[in-house]
Amino acid sequence: MTLQDRAATLLARLVDASATERFAISFAALLLSIAVGTVIVLVSGRVTECTTAAFVLTHPTPFGVPRLFAVGFCYDPVAVYDRLFLGALGDPLKQGWSPLSPFSGGPLNPMREGWSPLNRQVAVTLRETTVLIFTGLSVAVAFRAGVFNIGTQGQLVVGGLASALAVLWAVPVAPAGVAGTLVLVPLALLVGALFGGAYGAIPGMLKAYAEANEVITTIMLNFVATGVVGYLVLNHFKDPNSAATQTRSLPGYADFPTLLFDPRNAFSLVALFVGVVVVAGIAYLLTQTSFGYDLRTSGLQPEAAEYGGVDAKRTVVSSFALSGALGGIAGALYVVMILGKYQTGVPSYGFDGITVSILAGNNPLGVGFAALLFGVLKSGTVVVDFATDVPPQLVGVLRGLIILFVAMPEFFRMVGRRAEAVQRRMGETAGRVAADGGDSDE
Amino acid sequence: MSDAVHLDGITKRFPGVVANDDVTLRVERGSVHALLGENGAGKTTLMNVLYGLYEPTEGRVVVDETERSFDSPRDAIDAGVGMIHQHFMLVDPMTVAENITLGNEPRKWGGLAIDRERAREEVAELSDRYGFDVEPDARIEAVSVGVQQRVEILKALYRGADVLILDEPTAVLTPQEVKDLFEVLEELTDAGKTVIFITHKLGEALTAADEVTVLRDGRNVGTVETAETTRERLAELMVGREVLLETTKTPSEPGETVLAVDGVTVRDDRDVRVVSDVTFGVREGEVFGIAGVDGNGQAELIEAITGLRRPDSGRVRFEGADVTDRSRRERIDEGMAYIPEDRQERGLVMSFDLVENGLLGSQHAPSFASGGRIDWGRAREHAESVIEAYDVRPPNPDTDSAALSGGNQQKFIVGREFEREPSLLVATHPTRGVDIGSTEFIHDRLLELRDAGEGVLLVSSKLEEVRSLSDRLAVIHDGELMGVVDPEEVTEEELGLLMAGERPERDLASLRVTEESS
Repeated sequence: MTLQDRAATLLARLVDASATERFAISFAALLLSIAVGTVIVLVSGRVTECTTAAFVLTHPTPFGVPRLFAVGFCYDPVAVYDRLFLGALGDPLKQGWSPLSPFSGGPLNPMREGWSPLNRQVAVTLRETTVLIFTGLSVAVAFRAGVFNIGTQGQLVVGGLASALAVLWAVPVAPAGVAGTLVLVPLALLVGALFGGAYGAIPGMLKAYAEANEVITTIMLNFVATGVVGYLVLNHFKDPNSAATQTRSLPGYADFPTLLFDPRNAFSLVALFVGVVVVAGIAYLLTQTSFGYDLRTSGLQPEAAEYGGVDAKRTVVSSFALSGALGGIAGALYVVMILGKYQTGVPSYGFDGITVSILAGNNPLGVGFAALLFGVLKSGTVVVDFATDVPPQLVGVLRGLIILFVAMPEFFRMVGRRAEAVQRRMGETAGRVAADGGDSDE
Repeated sequence: MSDAVHLDGITKRFPGVVANDDVTLRVERGSVHALLGENGAGKTTLMNVLYGLYEPTEGRVVVDETERSFDSPRDAIDAGVGMIHQHFMLVDPMTVAENITLGNEPRKWGGLAIDRERAREEVAELSDRYGFDVEPDARIEAVSVGVQQRVEILKALYRGADVLILDEPTAVLTPQEVKDLFEVLEELTDAGKTVIFITHKLGEALTAADEVTVLRDGRNVGTVETAETTRERLAELMVGREVLLETTKTPSEPGETVLAVDGVTVRDDRDVRVVSDVTFGVREGEVFGIAGVDGNGQAELIEAITGLRRPDSGRVRFEGADVTDRSRRERIDEGMAYIPEDRQERGLVMSFDLVENGLLGSQHAPSFASGGRIDWGRAREHAESVIEAYDVRPPNPDTDSAALSGGNQQKFIVGREFEREPSLLVATHPTRGVDIGSTEFIHDRLLELRDAGEGVLLVSSKLEEVRSLSDRLAVIHDGELMGVVDPEEVTEEELGLLMAGERPERDLASLRVTEESS
């Protein structure tokens, strides 16, 4: 009883937390996950065997006290987290700079000389961020409408192939050079959105008109998408000059203009800018438009939405189509920004989108930040792999810990809100019987 | 005699709200004390302070002559204070004895196992001592609500409660069970226990309590002995002014038929036919009432009229046009307002604030949205005007509707629907769970709308309500209209018979109001 009460109070406090509090909670969770991760790195560094220790724990030996113990660890947690976060940004800080002595080695400038925000690793980070913004938004829009779209991956695959084929088809008739870029890139995004949207509308219609559970259908449609697209590429659209299962390459001018960054990094600031604009656009759509009102109302309380004149079936289909279109754009970005062609074996951006969305509490603005955190972790992992002996699986564990810790408070907020809703319903039921209980007051 | 409970100057503030303002309450040992007040008067908050759920902002809690500071209900229970909530906290598949001893089970084998036999005996003994007539081996899901409530009381007693708080204990009970409960309360006080019960029903406070404390707006406005007071006096204390317990209305001047229901048959979600071939018409400037025991097809009939459910057959005409195939939204746009039966499920989005809720149903209307974009400034003005005109408290448009009391939620919905300037208002159970003051207010608004020449379709299971408000009254039984009668002419017995599906001896034709064919 007490434990239950205490849990209930905690949940209620979480539900009522302000934006600043939530940010502070997230940050504390991040630090906590690092603390737990440090222990895991140390322990696994103890149970592994290595020739040279990455770091040795000992005690100070003043006045010639003989050394009593010296424990070697195979992995250094400081190095791991340093690489994971700073590595993802291409080492912005001066060697030896610490927040405790900010002015060491120069006035007011902890930045490393020669560091540029346009470096390769930042490009990798932002590239991942850009794609995840779209898949994250895709999942978030569906969540807000009260439906679960687990099928973003499939919508991404369909949108990706469609945009690659559309560009390859349009190349002969489109102008070359800058004019070509201006025609082909928007075309790719548009086609990706259309096909992803159409593919997303399928589970929407199945739910609205055949009452098929969307979680099941979207998961199954992921397999369908991967299978059919793989078949199409292998048997109909395969590049004859390559051993890989991929389409012919798009011409260079069909790529997103990279602007400032090195073109080899496969990252475009323009694409990121588009991503930020779409984040703002979705936030605007949800809060400022009649469609967004319908969508949020359906997500929060379907019965009230129906009462308010919202066509439930149409809202389900259109929110699924919008969700699919965002997934399809992510696929188009994968083609025109990252690969320059369509190739099977697309990374799991769609599934990461689910995590990004939950991390962001299904808030479109939050999706931007969550995608950035995800981008840092993804790009930092590569750096950790290069710089330390820590196995990639262990880095995966650390990454998982961070996401788990940061997502948990939001998860519990959702649980708390649901619990409140249930309690309210119970209270109301009791109250309703009240007025009918044949009392003598009326 | 000593006080079992003494709450001294309790103030409880929530952000932006003072729920209890310097409330002092003394409850004599061995007495039944009623805490009476309208919805949102602060009754439950005060009791939650006593039960350790809230910490008071100011004031002292004295139980058994000792000042206490409860951090949690566990502390309160240890001090002998038990609370029985409105909704029961019982585990349905477990037995009565298991539920009562849950968390405090007698142990055997050095604490390793639960001594079920002893648990049974202890519960049986406890039940006998207070004459509760509860079967320890019965499963909770198999016993009636009244018995479940007694199990809750036994649970508190088992934990050693001397002071029992009951939150709206009669809310879930049938009239017979209410009578039984009051006998149980008497047994308890005879055995030296103290009972505090929360209620907003005057009659109950007068019948069951020795003393009544009335709360209004979070303040104690008076403690009186029931032997020395009257219903009128208590009602005045509750509302803060004199209450007319009856509605007066002028004769109606009906005009054209605004809503015509023609041979409508409806099936429910399980595909069972619940409304059969219902025909009636609602005219401008009249209140058409539908009376009936709940669950006789009223809900489905109304859903078919307002566009939430498609009728199986038959037509619905609104202002002369056939709207049977039109969507809910089209019907709203054409001037059909609707106060739904279930305000927390349908009428309001609970996690929306009042600005957003004021928009529900008008989110596409040109007055609030142009080019698909919502004018939030205008939406806010609208919510503010509803709040002011319909006296919604707290008067803050940024409050989440979940934070409002039931009566205020209902007033907001009523206001929102009236502001549509409808030509027809469909009101289902508009005063359900609403306190006296708000009920009177809502009734007045309904009659005003009628006098302005609009049509009102009123569904209620409160006989008093439909009888006093309606100009014509239909009785529904098992999905069929038993007849349309004049509410002034028909007797209560005849209505009862009709509601039970039987024809009274008197020829109904003599009661029927002349009706133009629609």
